[in-house]
Amino acid sequence: MDAFGMGLVAAMGALATVAGASEDIESDIGSQSNPNSQVQLAAQVGNPHRIYNKAIAGEPPSNALWCTTAAIMAYVLIEGYHMPLLFAVAVGASLAALFNGVMATSAYLGRNASQARFNQWIYLDIIRYTTPSIMAHVWITSFCITLISTIQVYVLTPHHPFPIPVIALIWGLTVGAIGSSVGDIHYGGEREFQWRLFGQGLNTMLSGQIVRKAEAGLRNSIDNAWFCAKFGGPCTGMGFGLTVFLDNWRTTVFDPVTHAGAAIAMGLFFVIVMNLYNFYCELSARRKYGPYPGYKGDIAA
Amino acid sequence: MSFDINTIIYLLEIIVGGLLVGVGVHFVPVGGAPAAMAQATGIGTGTVQLAAGSGLTGLLSAGLMMSVTDNIWPILATGAVGAMIMMDATMLTGSWIYAYAVGAPFASAKVNYDPITKFSQPPYVAPGTVGQGIPTVCYVSGTIGAAMGGIGGALIYYPLVQINGNPAMSAVFAVGIFMVDAVLASWNIQGTIEGFHDPKFKKWPKAFKSCLVATIILAVVAVLITPIGGV
Repeated sequence: MDAFGMGLVAAMGALATVAGASEDIESDIGSQSNPNSQVQLAAQVGNPHRIYNKAIAGEPPSNALWCTTAAIMAYVLIEGYHMPLLFAVAVGASLAALFNGVMATSAYLGRNASQARFNQWIYLDIIRYTTPSIMAHVWITSFCITLISTIQVYVLTPHHPFPIPVIALIWGLTVGAIGSSVGDIHYGGEREFQWRLFGQGLNTMLSGQIVRKAEAGLRNSIDNAWFCAKFGGPCTGMGFGLTVFLDNWRTTVFDPVTHAGAAIAMGLFFVIVMNLYNFYCELSARRKYGPYPGYKGDIAA
Repeated sequence: MSFDINTIIYLLEIIVGGLLVGVGVHFVPVGGAPAAMAQATGIGTGTVQLAAGSGLTGLLSAGLMMSVTDNIWPILATGAVGAMIMMDATMLTGSWIYAYAVGAPFASAKVNYDPITKFSQPPYVAPGTVGQGIPTVCYVSGTIGAAMGGIGGALIYYPLVQINGNPAMSAVFAVGIFMVDAVLASWNIQGTIEGFHDPKFKKWPKAFKSCLVATIILAVVAVLITPIGGV
């Protein structure tokens, strides 16, 4: 273990946390992934809205695309043109953001145009001021992940044998999977349905009845980003940050050549601790909220 | 390349890896889009996406380990641990949101009592839903599934590097084979499952057979391909 390696792992963890948070907020602004089903359904059940509606792909493949695009650009600039590392990564991220902007705009136009029969409008002002916000978040995500990949390949010892774009592809898939599993719950389960009774899952009968009014005026996707940035985004960042940090920490502290067993044992220790922590969460939620008052079955709580 | 006894061992390793991925997907508690709305038990995303996210994180760890050793056991173990860390971190942070943002107690709609904690489930299931959150049994099941996915990914990657000596190409091939097996298993469970306690879990032999056929074909193609121009 050396101090420089530990510093790098800490920096990677911090970058991953930022990447996770920005990834989730990007998907919340665009209503991508799981909550998109409700946004899509809303107009069909008679609730036209001013919420951005893009589902370019599932979150993991789309983020894998942005991150790989950024990483390929950066890789070419670094290896082919000997550009400075940070500059190359920033240019790559800009390219990914441009790709994202094109696809987000076409997704919004296409989806809302197809819902014209349900009285869903295409709002040009929404495209104008929401799309740059989506692109900005994609820029942050792909910048951070390309930088993590670059650190793993060029700086951190032992150097990773995969090329930068392959690592960025895998981290992009992973950050998308985490954003889709974690942050989406805050947007889909809480923000879209704020007027349901607190402390219960969403009743199937309420599908499509999303909240369309904001504190002032009509709700739009920037309002959703403001809300989800308080908990869903940071939790996603924490999930991805933990994954990147813990996974690299154990192989940095324990040399995989001489102490492979210790690195694996330390990973298993983390796994056991997280299992116990989830049990604590389950226990505390059951104690705090209790069973549903309307339950009529014969199984004791 | 020459076809010898080692090639058969490599083929078998890839096939076993693919089968581990296929069966491991059945352990991962995914509820799809309804779970993201706290309408169903499990993790709120797609099966393949989550399995790929965890298994490929394991592949990254295994790739790193393989760059410093040729011993298969630490490579498989580190692949499993990497995948488990990703899956557990995801489920844990998801649980925070279920518990502290949505405010729903965790409950499974498939069993009356959690097989591990013995907690009663039906009184905590909200009306109009099929459970919510990630109860302990789902969490443990997800951890097992991630371990199988991680070992499977590493077991596909290991022989490919032995054959062609190119980590980049082997990784991409491993990702491809991983995806095929994960998708086949996902069709078998129709997109959602709660874990090993779910009645759908009993359907795993069907996925096993289909993954076997698919992986044999892919394994034969994979071992025949060698990099061009020593990239």
